[in-house]
Amino acid sequence: MALNPLFFRKTLVAGTGLFLCVFLVVHLSANCILLLPEDIARGMYNSYSTTLRESPLIKIVAYLLYLSIILHVVYALLITIRNRKAKPQKYVMNHANENSSWSSRNMGILGTLILIFIVIHLVNFWARIKLGFGDAVALDVDGNKDVYEVTYSLFHNIYYVIFYTIISVPLAFHLYHGFKSGFKTLGFYHKKGLKIIAKVSLVYALIMGIGFGIIPFIVYLK
Amino acid sequence: MKVTFKIWRQEGPEDKGAIRDYEVDGLTEDMSFLEALDHLNELLVLKNEKVIAYEYDCREGICGQCGVFINGRAHGPHDNMTTCQLHMRSFKDGDTIVVEPWRAASFSVIKDLIVDRSAFDRIIEQGAYITAKTGTAPEANAIPIPKEISDNAMDAAACIGCGACVATCKNSSAALFTAAKINHLNRLPQGKAEEHKRVQEMTYQMEIEGFGSCTFTGACEVECPEGISILNIAEMNARNAKAKLLG
Amino acid sequence: MKLDSKIPEGKLEDKWRNYQVTSQLINPANKKKLNVIVVGSGLSGAGAAATLAELGYDVQCFCYQDSARRAHSVAAQGGINAAKNYQHDGDSVWRMFYDTLKGGDFRSREANTYRLAELSAPLIDHYVQQGVPFAREYGGVLVNRSFGGVQVQRTFYARGQTGQQLLMAAYSQLYKMVRAKKVKMFPRSEMLDLVVIDGKAKGIIVRDLVTGELKRYAADAIVLATGGYSRVFRLSTLAIGCNGSALWKAHKKGALFAAPSFTQIHPTALPQSSEAQSKLTLMSESLRNDGRIWVPKQQQDARKANDIPEDERDYYLERRYPSFGNLAPRDIASRAAKERIDTGYGVGRLKNAVYLDFRHAIEKFGIQTIKDRYGNLFTMYKKITGIDAYREPMQISPAAHFSMGGLWVDYELMTTIPGLYAIGECNFSDHGANRLGANSLLQASIDGYFVLPNTINNYLASALKEDHPTTDHPEFEKAEKAVKADINRILNINGTKTVDHFHRELGKVMWQECAMSRNKKGLENAIAQIKTIRDEFWKDVKITGSSNELNTELEKALRLADFIELGILMCTDALERDESCGAHFREEFQTEDGEAVRVDEDYSYVSAWEYDDGDFKLHKEELEFEFVKPSVRSYK
Repeated sequence: MALNPLFFRKTLVAGTGLFLCVFLVVHLSANCILLLPEDIARGMYNSYSTTLRESPLIKIVAYLLYLSIILHVVYALLITIRNRKAKPQKYVMNHANENSSWSSRNMGILGTLILIFIVIHLVNFWARIKLGFGDAVALDVDGNKDVYEVTYSLFHNIYYVIFYTIISVPLAFHLYHGFKSGFKTLGFYHKKGLKIIAKVSLVYALIMGIGFGIIPFIVYLK
Repeated sequence: MKVTFKIWRQEGPEDKGAIRDYEVDGLTEDMSFLEALDHLNELLVLKNEKVIAYEYDCREGICGQCGVFINGRAHGPHDNMTTCQLHMRSFKDGDTIVVEPWRAASFSVIKDLIVDRSAFDRIIEQGAYITAKTGTAPEANAIPIPKEISDNAMDAAACIGCGACVATCKNSSAALFTAAKINHLNRLPQGKAEEHKRVQEMTYQMEIEGFGSCTFTGACEVECPEGISILNIAEMNARNAKAKLLG
Repeated sequence: MKLDSKIPEGKLEDKWRNYQVTSQLINPANKKKLNVIVVGSGLSGAGAAATLAELGYDVQCFCYQDSARRAHSVAAQGGINAAKNYQHDGDSVWRMFYDTLKGGDFRSREANTYRLAELSAPLIDHYVQQGVPFAREYGGVLVNRSFGGVQVQRTFYARGQTGQQLLMAAYSQLYKMVRAKKVKMFPRSEMLDLVVIDGKAKGIIVRDLVTGELKRYAADAIVLATGGYSRVFRLSTLAIGCNGSALWKAHKKGALFAAPSFTQIHPTALPQSSEAQSKLTLMSESLRNDGRIWVPKQQQDARKANDIPEDERDYYLERRYPSFGNLAPRDIASRAAKERIDTGYGVGRLKNAVYLDFRHAIEKFGIQTIKDRYGNLFTMYKKITGIDAYREPMQISPAAHFSMGGLWVDYELMTTIPGLYAIGECNFSDHGANRLGANSLLQASIDGYFVLPNTINNYLASALKEDHPTTDHPEFEKAEKAVKADINRILNINGTKTVDHFHRELGKVMWQECAMSRNKKGLENAIAQIKTIRDEFWKDVKITGSSNELNTELEKALRLADFIELGILMCTDALERDESCGAHFREEFQTEDGEAVRVDEDYSYVSAWEYDDGDFKLHKEELEFEFVKPSVRSYK
């Protein structure tokens, strides 16, 4: 039996997507440190990020993460290209909103926005802290790189705050559809279970969207 | 009742095609949508024009041959209904009604509103059957099949093969059609012997026919005249995974 | 011409076995060399094509639809009968045989009807094996319901979609053989003529409906499985594409047409609502179990149904047939409705319907019970009419439904042209003058799966010794030329009226004079009127477009041209039969209270008509009742 290339691709996108969903939970939890009073937050945040950079276990997870993002993007792109080819001619009139949600039909656009964000986000933090691009990062009192300061100064630029907040909207929509349909793609078809997953998906997307969206604002107001 | 039809006209597969406008008077609310087109065609004949080509056969919602995109929806404005069941009372006097053929790379236009759905037959050909010859059957009640399983199989088996799922899907995915058939047979004890082979070969055919893949927008189950659940696709995915691992 | 029905010797229950043990066999190596054409892909056609291919023959199967899966077998709702006696209610092959014979008012052959009942049980086994999800009990065994007024429960069903599920099984099996390269499938292809060489059927001329190209196909035997021809009435429960053209071409080439006028009118269809209507949708007969049929006592009553008080309603079926009431057989219920409508008691906008009222059932059992029983039908009714039948009565009306008549076939299902077979609804074999509910899926399947594959070898064994036909034979040339000439002739008329106009005219005449009740004067008039329509048609029809493209108007016109001629034959047949039997009700032959009078002494035969250059010559196959004695059907 020949390979089912599409089946394989879809499974990969769903699998990596759900893995990234788990990562976001960890990411958001860490971001919550920023909500604490500054004196506590700075030390905690900086030591946390140092741990992330130096733990060998986390390193493996990090590479897995990079790989997931790349596979998720590449295969989603391949699928999208093929899907577009499957419908070369569009309808003159199409009331798709009457039978499906906008987000479910526009995962590609939502995903692209998120990808753009990720690139900027990586330039803002990862490139500066890890690769040493831009201004050197100062050390805090404990000798850890003062990532808190990097974050704090970034989120006192109103343009970045607005950008980070706005981008949380497509993120929430992408997650809402992606989370629940990822399970279906992986072959979970228990009716009641999927109803629960749909609700969990909504709550999860809201938390992620609001969480990631509101923290920059709170930091800005500090 | 008077309406303006905006109908896709296309001489043949090579022709580019375009929307043409037709004002039609003298319709009644009781007429079915297809009868309104019949009426328009009679007017066209009398005006010495070529008639609009569209498909239908049983006109009672079961053969699956009819199917056009009407005002931006597969089979028209209602959920879970065939084109032939749509009546003019769903429109208002003076309405404009846009009519287009199913759009999908795998459903090429033959003429006007008629498309080629033979890809469905080729998917069926790849395993939508029990390999057993006429005359070899054991007694019908020899294998009891629990009502729930039989009913579930029937839910999937209800597919009429109209292609609305492909037409409405933004990816032109035939996953609902293929899944319905696979699940019908794989849910039953009779289908077990070939279950892995069936799911792999049919989904493979679905792919080489050029249908897109399912991204679970859910449009298909809204337009499906038989209301076949999209969970069938998830089930097919599970069966496919199982077949890959075990088969 | 002597009609030899080739009924095997022996007791009724031994005949089919005796036939099988004495028929000729063909060895597998030789089967490969023989090819068979099957026209039609419904239950009988797909079943036959798949089974013949499994046996080793090379098969070519044609259908006019875009896929074999659309054939009109798909639309049968109710179920399929089989003498399994699963319900332990005293059913048996003999009882089923007798019910069918009696239901047909003793106008079919004992041996054929018995075989139908005999093979019904293995057929259910077959369909279950093929994965048909028949309704089941919680314990997993098959469920039955009663149907069509018989006293046992022998009907198997898959929701209201039994025909669809059986067809899907047949279609799947067919495509299994397409994959095995033993069947070549030709969708969107319509047979336009039969090719007869040296008296034997050897090929067909087919029009490719997409390109318009005429093509020739040769074979050692031809099987017609083209279904019923009730679209001759235009408004019927049939699919719009259903036609009688293949039959008619075969008839013109020498196949006798049996009992053409035996047409079943179904009592519970939705009424016509406008002149433009194309189709009458069937509502399952099961509705009559709980619905009560009535019309107002006052003629031309303009009040709404719910405004008419109880004592001003005429429950005419209950009044006329107190013991069967609303469950009177199809022919009787249809006729009674027609009588009320014709005398001015009809209801609805066009005064062409009667009420089917669930008010009492809802009061008695509660709305939920009625929803459980008929929910899907009520929903369908609302989709089509926009009316909520839980609140006001349904409007129903009789509609042409099934052709008992068809090409005359012998016990082997071969027509009077050697090598030409007719199976399923397109033959006249098992139903006599009226078909019982849930017997049509049965007959189509039995013919295709079990009978034909066992009888065709008897003929093909001799074909082995002959040269294979080739499509360059002069007869093919001649037939193709004739088809081309017909097409050109019809396209060149360039008149002023549409094909549908003529079809409506034909339908009106046929419905008025050759449907539920017929009389001599009416039929004579009808023949004259149809001849006028025929002449007008050939003078004044207008078709746009050309012959070498997809042209639906041309398709319709070619079918209608044949329907018109078939209509004349149907009226001729109805006129000839001076009796009332089953669905054939001649007003001159009724009792004082309007019941049918059968005349066994003079009409216990199958009328088989020979085409004679525009005229028809009658042949009779006398029916011999060796094992049962014809009795009078009474439903009082």
